Amino acid sequence: MSEITVFAAQKIITMDPSRPEATHVAVQDGKILAVGGADCADASGPVSHDNSLAGHVLMPGFVEGHAHMMAGSMWQFAYAGYHDRIDPQGKLHKGMTDINAVVSRLRDYANDLPEGAPVVAWGFDPIFLTSERLNRHHLDSIATDRPVMVMFSNFHLMCVNSQCLDMVGYSHETNVEGVLKDPNGDPTGELQEMAAMFPVMRRTGLDFRGLSQTPEAVKTYADVCRLAGVTTITDLFSHMEEEDLAVLTQVTGQDDFGLRLVPVLAAVGAPPQEIADKANRLGKQSTDKLRMGAVKLMTDGSIQGWTARVKWPGYVGGHPNGLWNTPPEQIFDLCETMQANGVQMHIHVNGDEASSVSLDALEAASRKHPWPSARHVLQHCQMMGPDQFRRCVEMNVCTNIFSNHIWYFGDQHAALTIGEDRATRMDAARSALDAGVNVALHSDAPVTPLGPLFTAWCAVNRQTMSGRTLGEEQRITVDEALYAITLGAAYTLKLDAEIGSIEAGKRADFAVLGDDPTAVDPMALKDVPVSGIVFGGQVQMN
Amino acid sequence: MRLPLTVISGYLGAGKTTLINRLLAEDHGLRLMILVNDFGAINIDAALIESRQDDTISLSNGCVCCTMGAGLYMALGDALDRTPRPDHLIVEASGIADPASIANAAIAEPDLSYAGIITLVDGLNGADLLRDALIAPQVAQQIKVADMVLMTKCEVPSGALAQALDDHGLCIPRILQSDAPVVPLLSDVLPLPKGRPTAPHPLYVQWNTDAPSEMSREQVKARLQDRPEGLYRVKGFVDGPDGMLEVHVVGKHMDIRSSTATTPALVALGLSDRLTADQIDSWWRGC
Repeated sequence: MSEITVFAAQKIITMDPSRPEATHVAVQDGKILAVGGADCADASGPVSHDNSLAGHVLMPGFVEGHAHMMAGSMWQFAYAGYHDRIDPQGKLHKGMTDINAVVSRLRDYANDLPEGAPVVAWGFDPIFLTSERLNRHHLDSIATDRPVMVMFSNFHLMCVNSQCLDMVGYSHETNVEGVLKDPNGDPTGELQEMAAMFPVMRRTGLDFRGLSQTPEAVKTYADVCRLAGVTTITDLFSHMEEEDLAVLTQVTGQDDFGLRLVPVLAAVGAPPQEIADKANRLGKQSTDKLRMGAVKLMTDGSIQGWTARVKWPGYVGGHPNGLWNTPPEQIFDLCETMQANGVQMHIHVNGDEASSVSLDALEAASRKHPWPSARHVLQHCQMMGPDQFRRCVEMNVCTNIFSNHIWYFGDQHAALTIGEDRATRMDAARSALDAGVNVALHSDAPVTPLGPLFTAWCAVNRQTMSGRTLGEEQRITVDEALYAITLGAAYTLKLDAEIGSIEAGKRADFAVLGDDPTAVDPMALKDVPVSGIVFGGQVQMN
Repeated sequence: MRLPLTVISGYLGAGKTTLINRLLAEDHGLRLMILVNDFGAINIDAALIESRQDDTISLSNGCVCCTMGAGLYMALGDALDRTPRPDHLIVEASGIADPASIANAAIAEPDLSYAGIITLVDGLNGADLLRDALIAPQVAQQIKVADMVLMTKCEVPSGALAQALDDHGLCIPRILQSDAPVVPLLSDVLPLPKGRPTAPHPLYVQWNTDAPSEMSREQVKARLQDRPEGLYRVKGFVDGPDGMLEVHVVGKHMDIRSSTATTPALVALGLSDRLTADQIDSWWRGC
C-alpha cells in the first residue's frame, strides 16, 4: 500500500456539490483518496499529515481551455507592453505607459546582450499610447550597431531600427505595401503584416517555430501555468509532427513536470480525412500528462482587426465585413469528416456570422453522423446571443468565452468596431449560462496574459480599461465564474471525470491560493494571490 | 539571383491542382518548387517520383512539391535556403487566401522576385460564388488582384458568369486551352534551359531584342506605363544615363531597379489574340 498524505488547508473549495467545502484532502498515488476533515482517510490505513498548506485556500487546479504554448517562450525576448506582466520566473515586469519608458527599458536590456545580438521585444500596443507612433528614430536611440525589433502585441506589426531597414534594403525607393513611409518618403521603421516583416525576421533568425514544441518552450509554459494556478492547459492550434510528439512525450513525462498539456491539432495542411486519421492516431498515443486527439478549426479573423465575420448590421463606420480563414464550404466538410471519425473539434468563432455558420455545419454533420456526446466547443464566441446559445444546448455544443476581451478591448469595441449596443452584450456568459450551455472562460494567452482568476474577474465585473462596466446584465456570479475556470473548462476537454473538482477518485491537482476567492469583494477576485500548485499530489510553490 | 515567385489563386475547386499537375508534367527543364496546401489531389506519375516524405515529393525532373505545414512563411524561408535554389517558386494560395498578401512577400523580400498572380475562375460554379454574400467579396478580390485570370471547366463563360463578373467590375477571364503550355505564363527565366523553345504555342507571342536603345529611368518608366494591353511579361536589362536598369513587368506589376548586369537585352511575352510581335516592337521603339 503506498503512502497516504493528508493535506490540511484553511479552506478547500471543492466544486463538488455533495461537499462544497472541506478542510482536508487525502492523496494517494497522485489521486484524491478522500475529502473532509483531518480524519477523512483514517479508514484507509496509516496516514501522514502535511500542514504546509494549512494557511492557504485550495481549489481544483485551474483549467485553461484556450491558450498557446508561445505564452511561455515569448519571454526569451524583452517585454515592451503597456500592462504589468509576470514572467515565467515570477518576476514582475512593469507596464510601459509611454514610448520613452519602452526605449529606456530596451536600452538596459541591450546592454546585457552579446555584441551584435538583436534586441527583440514583444507585446507593444500602440492602441494604448497617445503620443506619436513608435518609429526607427526611437529604436536607433536604443542601438545602431545591432538590429532592434519591437513586435506589437497582435503579432501583425513590428517596428525596426535603421540597421534592420538597411539589412533588407528598405529605403526611399522601396514601394512595398506594409513598409510605412514618413512625409519625406523614407521608411518610418513600422512594418505591417507578415509579408513586410518576413525579410527582417529571416535575416535576424527570428523563427516562430522555436517558440513551440521545443523542450524549453514546454518547460516555460509549465512555469507560466504554475504561477497562474493552472494545472491543465491547451495548446490550441498545434502543428504536431512526429519529432514534436517525441519531444512533448519526453518533457511531459518527467516526474517533476507539473502540468497536463492538451495539444489540439491544427486542422490545416491536409485533406479532412487525413487530419482526422492523424488526430485519432495522436489520441491513441496520449499519456497521463499529454492529452491529444482533438482538432482546432479556424473560421474567421478578429473583431478588433475588423476581420471577424459579423452579421448585419456589420461594423460601425461602414467598415466592410471581415474575412474567412476557412471558407464555409470547407468548414462543412471538416465538420462532417471529424464528426464521422469521432474527432472532437474546437472551432474558432469571433463574429456572429462565423458562429452561425459553424453551428449550421455542426448541425448538418450531426444529422449524418449522430454523436450526442461529441462535446464540440465553440471558441471565443464573442458575439453569440441567446438564439445561438439555445442552438448549442440543442446540440450539446460547448462554449469557451473570451472574457478577457471585455477589459482589454471593450472600450475599443464600443467606440470603433461593433458599437455600444452590441459591445454591451459581447462575451455573453450570462446568456450562455441561462440557456444552459456548458461555459468555460479563457485568456488566449499570450494574446492576453494567462490568469484564470483575472479571466473570472472579467466575467464577474465586466469592467473595461477605462473603468466602466460594459453590459452589467451579462455579469455572472463568482461561483459561476470559478466553476467555468475549473469543471466548466474540464468538460470542454472531456477531462471532467479526472480533473476540475476536488473529490475522491480524481487527480490531486490543486491551485494553492493566498486568500478565499469566494470571500473577497468580487472586484478583488483578480488580486487573490496564487501561491503555487499541487500536481498529482506534489506541492510546487511559486 | 533572385528566386521568382508566382501565386496560383482561386476558390475551392477552381482547378489549381489541375494546373499544378500540368506544370509538373510539362517538359520545361526547370527545377520548379511548388508549395501546396496539401497533397490531396496532386497527381504525379509514379515513374517520376524520386522520393516521398511527409511534406515533400521530389521528382526525377528536378521539381519539388512541398506542403506548407507550419505556414507559408516558414516554407518560403526553407525554399530560399534550399541548395541548389529552385529556378522558380510557385505558391498555391488556399481557396480563401488573398493572393496579393502572398505576392507582397515576393515584392518585399530582396531574394525573391515577383512573377505574378494567376487566378483561376470556375467556369461552372463561378457565377454562384460571385453571388454568395458569404464569400463573394473574397472570391472577387482574388480575381481583382490577378495579373492573369483564367477560366477553367468550360470554353465560353455563361451569361450568368459574365453578368456576375460585370457586377463586381471584373473582366471576362481568358481560356487556357488544355494543350497550351503553362510555363510561359510564369517563367521568369526566359530563355528556358537546354534550348527548349519558349513559346511554341499559338496562344503566346514572343518578342526580344539584344540591343534595346539607351534610356533613362524616367523614360523606361514612362514606356512601361504605356505598354499595350495583352503584353503580359517584360524582362531584361536596359542601359542608359542612369546606369544599367533591371526591368521587370508581370501583368499589372512593374519594377525598375539598378543592376550590375553588363549586357542589355529584353524579352517580352504577350497573348496572341491581343497583340502581335510587331506591335510589341513598335511599342518599345516608341513608334
